[in-house]
Amino acid sequence: MSIASSTHRIARFALYGVLALFCLYYLMPLYVMVVNSLKPLSEITSGGMIALPKEWTVAPWRNAWSEAQVGVEATGMRPYFINSFLMVIPAVAIATILGALNGYVLTKWTFKGSTILFGFLLFGCFIPFQIVLIPMARALGMMGLAGTVPGLIFVHVVYGISFSTLYFRNYYAAFPTELVRAAQIDGAGFFTIFFRILLPNSGPIAVVCVIWLFTNIWNDFLFGASFSDFNSQPMTVALNNLVQSSTGVQEYNVHFAGAIIAALPTLLVYIVAGRFFVRGLMSGSVKG
Amino acid sequence: MSFLDIDKATKSYGAVRVLNETDISVEEGEFLVLVGPSGCGKSTLLNMIAGLEGVSSGEIRIRDRRMNDIKPADRNIAMVFQSYALYPNMTVRSNISFGMEMHGVRKAKREEKIAEIAELLQLTPFLDRKPGQLSGGQRQRVAMGRALTRDPDVFLFDEPLSNLDAKLRVDMRTEIKKLHQKLGTTIVYVTHDQIEALTLSTRIAVMFGGEVQQLGTPQEIYDNPTNMFVAGFMGSPAMNLLPATLRDAEGGVAVELALPDSSYISLPFPRGATLSGQDGRAIVLGIRPEAMTDPESADAESPAIHQAELSIDVIEPAGSDTYVTVSLCGKDAIGRFRANTSARAGARFPFSFDMAKAVAFDPETEQRID
Ligand SMILES: Nc1ncnc2c1ncn2[C@@H]1O[C@H](COP(=O)(O)OP(=O)(O)OP(=O)(O)O)[C@@H](O)[C@H]1O
Ligand SMILES: [Mg+2]
Repeated sequence: MSIASSTHRIARFALYGVLALFCLYYLMPLYVMVVNSLKPLSEITSGGMIALPKEWTVAPWRNAWSEAQVGVEATGMRPYFINSFLMVIPAVAIATILGALNGYVLTKWTFKGSTILFGFLLFGCFIPFQIVLIPMARALGMMGLAGTVPGLIFVHVVYGISFSTLYFRNYYAAFPTELVRAAQIDGAGFFTIFFRILLPNSGPIAVVCVIWLFTNIWNDFLFGASFSDFNSQPMTVALNNLVQSSTGVQEYNVHFAGAIIAALPTLLVYIVAGRFFVRGLMSGSVKG
Repeated sequence: MSFLDIDKATKSYGAVRVLNETDISVEEGEFLVLVGPSGCGKSTLLNMIAGLEGVSSGEIRIRDRRMNDIKPADRNIAMVFQSYALYPNMTVRSNISFGMEMHGVRKAKREEKIAEIAELLQLTPFLDRKPGQLSGGQRQRVAMGRALTRDPDVFLFDEPLSNLDAKLRVDMRTEIKKLHQKLGTTIVYVTHDQIEALTLSTRIAVMFGGEVQQLGTPQEIYDNPTNMFVAGFMGSPAMNLLPATLRDAEGGVAVELALPDSSYISLPFPRGATLSGQDGRAIVLGIRPEAMTDPESADAESPAIHQAELSIDVIEPAGSDTYVTVSLCGKDAIGRFRANTSARAGARFPFSFDMAKAVAFDPETEQRID
């Protein structure tokens, strides 16, 4: 028994050791970014990437946020950060609501050909971004949305619907149809049933959908770079400009700070809603 | 025209016909039970009455109003579902009031009605709970409460008790019957439990294979099944269906039942009088367990008690009765004896056959022939 328990303990130490190692491995880049964003440039160029700052400073953060030369003017990343929010919030909201509506219709109000329609919608998940660049540019031009934030919202909603529909359709497929029927007999109409019965019971899948869309749209670079102009550029494009276009010395500490700022919102979304994310993913596949 | 008319109604999904032409007329205040095995189309018919499924052909009328194209909400019906279908995000109170809210009933009036129904169904302590915080029986009562808000023309129940345990099911059965007696509303009730059908209904429609096999009062269905399916489905234990031979005897008709030792017993069959002159015809004799009993338990009123001695295979005491299995006509036939009978397995014992209760079927068509 003691032998068994001691091998057990060794195995456990080994396991934790390996886990700790992986943890370090994953956290290393974050550490490097945070540490270097908090030291003066001179400390970095003199070769100390890993060391803690000798002199702590938040100047790189202030610089990245509001002073750095990103576009024509030295505005820092702030306006682009706002652009990203102006783009991501409506895009996520619209794509989620439309996806939920699609899922509702495709499961509870099925019609001839609804399965095929769903198939086509799913197809949207697999179309590479690059293929649609030119037709989309043309479409945006014809709609008069080229180079604007609403144009970007439109593009992201179009792409987002495929995924949000997939999520909600599968979730609602397991949603008891008898509830819809009971509501029908109670006298509720199409939208009342949707807003009063289905949506309030869609918490987990809505969280999954929002996290997925938020992360993807926030992090998107290709559409941002292709369909925006100076006034509507999202954060990702601005970060690229910051790193690429700075004249003279490369201000690595400012770049690090800028990169962290760009990543913060998605990080926050994960921390706040991550718990539901796992739960939602499970509840989609397992009933009850 | 009756209160609720189902007139040549059919239902097809594509090429699949799940409900054949069905005619049922229900009078106001009736309690009609649709009973039958799984998949026979009971729920389909009920959903057609509710308007949740379209009618492929034929017509459904309530109070002489054609319902085919009228929305469920406008048919003035209420429905209780098998899974109760309570809205999980709403409290019991909101669940009950939702339908009234949708129909534009004023708040004060709604509150009044909720209080009244909660009182009736003993739900008052649970009004602010969510359905997830209730027991099965309580949920069932909420589902009933939701249906009661509407003063509907017709109540529709789809197996409302099938998710409850045996004891609760019997209690709720009584509650539903009381409710019907109190409110007098017309009810159409689906179940696959024949006991529920017999105890609750004023009339029963026995369904099988998308077809109504027989429509009648519980007594008619029990005593005079029109075919072998109804005979075998209604009653527990089921009616014994024994392959037998008709014989012309002096003063009427008799049936000949084969014993395991290839001898015969012959019993007079007064109901088979119309079948005289068909000596040797193969029939299926239907006889209920309570018409095959020990001589002391035999119905003294019956004009046609006949005794025969049989060798008993199995004895099953069931509290109030004892079920006795014998081999007859190559089948296991069950008789119902008194609880304290002296019959023993392996021994021979006299049986009293109440031949006034026996019925005859054609083995080919399975229809009644006497
Ligand atoms: N959408 C559909 N498409 C094709 N066939 C269907 C459809 N819905 C039901 N059916 C068929 O119709 C028949 C009747 O179904 P129904 O639900 O009325 O049975 P039921 O008598 O209520 O059975 P249970 O006691 O199991 O509830 C079944 O054979 C079923 O397979
Ligand atoms: Mg059913």
